[in-house]
Amino acid sequence: MAFTDSIGAATIDGLAYVGGLARLTGGAAKAVFISPFQGKRFHMSRAIHQAMAVGVEALPITSLISFFIGAILAVNAAYELRKFGALHLVASAVAVSMTRELGPLMTAVVVIGRSGSSFAAEIGTMKVNEEIDAMETMALEPISFLVAPKFLAMILMVPCLTAWADFMGVLGGGAFGLAAASFTWGSYIQATLEALIAHDILTGLLKAMFFGLVITAVGCQEGFSTGLGSEQVGRSTTSAVVKSIFAVVMVDLVSTTIFYLTAPR
Amino acid sequence: MDISTRKVGAATIVDVVGDITLYNSPQVRKVLLDLIKDKKTPRVIVNLERVKYIDSAGVASLVEGLKVSRDQKSSFALFGLSRTAREVLELTRLIKVFEVYNTEEEALAGGAKTDASPAR
Amino acid sequence: MSPLPPKKDYIGAMTPMPVKASCAISVRNLRVKYGEREILHGVNFDVPAGETMVILGGSGSGKSTLLRTLVGLERPSSGEIYIMGKEFANISEDERDELRKGIGMSFQSGALFGSMTVGENVALPLQEHTDLDPSTIEIMVRLKLDQVGLSGFENYMPAQLSGGMKKRAAIARALSMDPQVLFFDEPSAGLDPIIAAGIDELILKLKRAFKMSIVVVTHELASAFLIADRMIVLDKGVIVADATTDEMKNSTQPRVRQFLDRVPEPEVTGEIDYLQMLTGDIPPIRQ
Ligand SMILES: Nc1ncnc2c1ncn2[C@@H]1O[C@H](COP(=O)(O)OP(=O)(O)O)[C@@H](O)[C@H]1O
Ligand SMILES: [Mg+2]
Repeated sequence: MAFTDSIGAATIDGLAYVGGLARLTGGAAKAVFISPFQGKRFHMSRAIHQAMAVGVEALPITSLISFFIGAILAVNAAYELRKFGALHLVASAVAVSMTRELGPLMTAVVVIGRSGSSFAAEIGTMKVNEEIDAMETMALEPISFLVAPKFLAMILMVPCLTAWADFMGVLGGGAFGLAAASFTWGSYIQATLEALIAHDILTGLLKAMFFGLVITAVGCQEGFSTGLGSEQVGRSTTSAVVKSIFAVVMVDLVSTTIFYLTAPR
Repeated sequence: MDISTRKVGAATIVDVVGDITLYNSPQVRKVLLDLIKDKKTPRVIVNLERVKYIDSAGVASLVEGLKVSRDQKSSFALFGLSRTAREVLELTRLIKVFEVYNTEEEALAGGAKTDASPAR
Repeated sequence: MSPLPPKKDYIGAMTPMPVKASCAISVRNLRVKYGEREILHGVNFDVPAGETMVILGGSGSGKSTLLRTLVGLERPSSGEIYIMGKEFANISEDERDELRKGIGMSFQSGALFGSMTVGENVALPLQEHTDLDPSTIEIMVRLKLDQVGLSGFENYMPAQLSGGMKKRAAIARALSMDPQVLFFDEPSAGLDPIIAAGIDELILKLKRAFKMSIVVVTHELASAFLIADRMIVLDKGVIVADATTDEMKNSTQPRVRQFLDRVPEPEVTGEIDYLQMLTGDIPPIRQ
């Protein structure tokens, strides 16, 4: 009895949490796409500032990580493929796994660590310092002022970062291909292009956009739900990271399944 | 709020009727800057006789008028301050910064003498 | 609106009056809870337009809660709040935001935006809600900072200011929209006496020059008697006195005198209750 009760309570909490995410996302989407046409201001300069922080400043670390992930993928693929004397398939294995899965996923992990956590910390600190309250008494809507610029920056920059990560991953795979599998740059790129289809790349980027969306929603929601006292900010930040990773994996599972079912055969 | 201008000799008088607030002070600012900057009016006098309330946006617009007129080496004066308007200028320590007169005649005459000490 | 029975020990005892349009603020039967715990137990008072109301009361008596409810940060569990004649507690977000443009609030902690300079903090409401030219806004920001004695600090970050300076910057920000109604939560707590006197002076001037209606929460009795037209004394979420400043000075009401004469709270719990409290037989205050 107590057990089923607690499952019930956990389910309701979970649904309430997802409801909160949906409300934040809806509010932010409205502030970005609808309110500007009703004469309300959108904070474009804040969005650009966020886009720099989320996207441009993440380029070095994303490049490095995805280059190595590409190389690791190539090594693992080669380990299996060389048994069949099929090392020439390494390029396509890297290209497909990178664009469909690991490019978006590794980018999401980087973005969670850099931006999702900082959203929670920023909003959490503002909550603790009564800045959010102050904002409300000044008739400034925290969602359109704080969340909307992050939302826009994330749905644009996470796919861009992902596209770059895909490219760096291919380079990483190529580095292995050249060193250990008798490829030349020309033949490696050639093999990659033959393996890639637009559908794989686009579904990967679409997924990345969804990741950007949930990372924003979770980070901001954790920030807004920060309790009293500054030690709560640390708790919010940690929980934003953990919950974002979980949410990204869930979104990944669902969207990959949908893409599989709707894919051209 | 209504705002209109009339020429009296070399000076231009800006008559403001109604409250000057956050929401309509851009209009006042535009009229003032237009007169001082574009039309190069040598003396601009703002008539505040029928302004009951002026908030700090209104005050800031007058400050801008004064600044631009100084830059242009023209002159800028106020007259007919209500008690509240005077209190606002005192609160913001601007009463001594502006050339302030009680009546239109004084304001016009004050412009004639170049080194008139502004009436308090 | 069900009128409270008049209380005998209430100076200027009043049953809830009909809401007058000439009042900047009218509060009727206001009850506020945090979770299960009720903090304000049916509060009634009026702030006439253009006057300064001081809310006195010991720490934890619910002063900040009252102020937060008046500006719409806490939802009352029942009761009504009228700001400039308009119902404020139970309206839509958009209507509330419209009213809030005419309200300024200075928080106990300052609550400046830490990621913006002092000048940007003061300019923000003007940039967001008006069509003023940036150069006009710049002048207004300098005017406001000058009024609180912070001329020249517009490019400082809040973290670079002392506690008292933060508080004054927060007052400048609360003034930026030239509000008709201004709320201060402990404006001079923790400030040195000269600065605190300056803030009292500013409050008096704002009332006179801009005809602002002002509500100030404070412990500082001297300051309260200087700036207030009316005062209320809040004790454990109940108003125990509501009177003009002169009436208050001469009040003989014990709880008022106790507060004004700074007499420590007498022990209200008996020995048995005290023992039970120590041994945990009386449950602690529920959150
Ligand atoms: N956010 C909150 N959650 C729960 N209880 C609170 C909260 N804020 C204040 N309280 C409680 O409400 C009571 C009144 O607090 P407050 O209004 O801050 O008093 P004052 O400002 O008069 O010192 C206190 O007992 C405090 O513990
Ligand atoms: Mg308090």
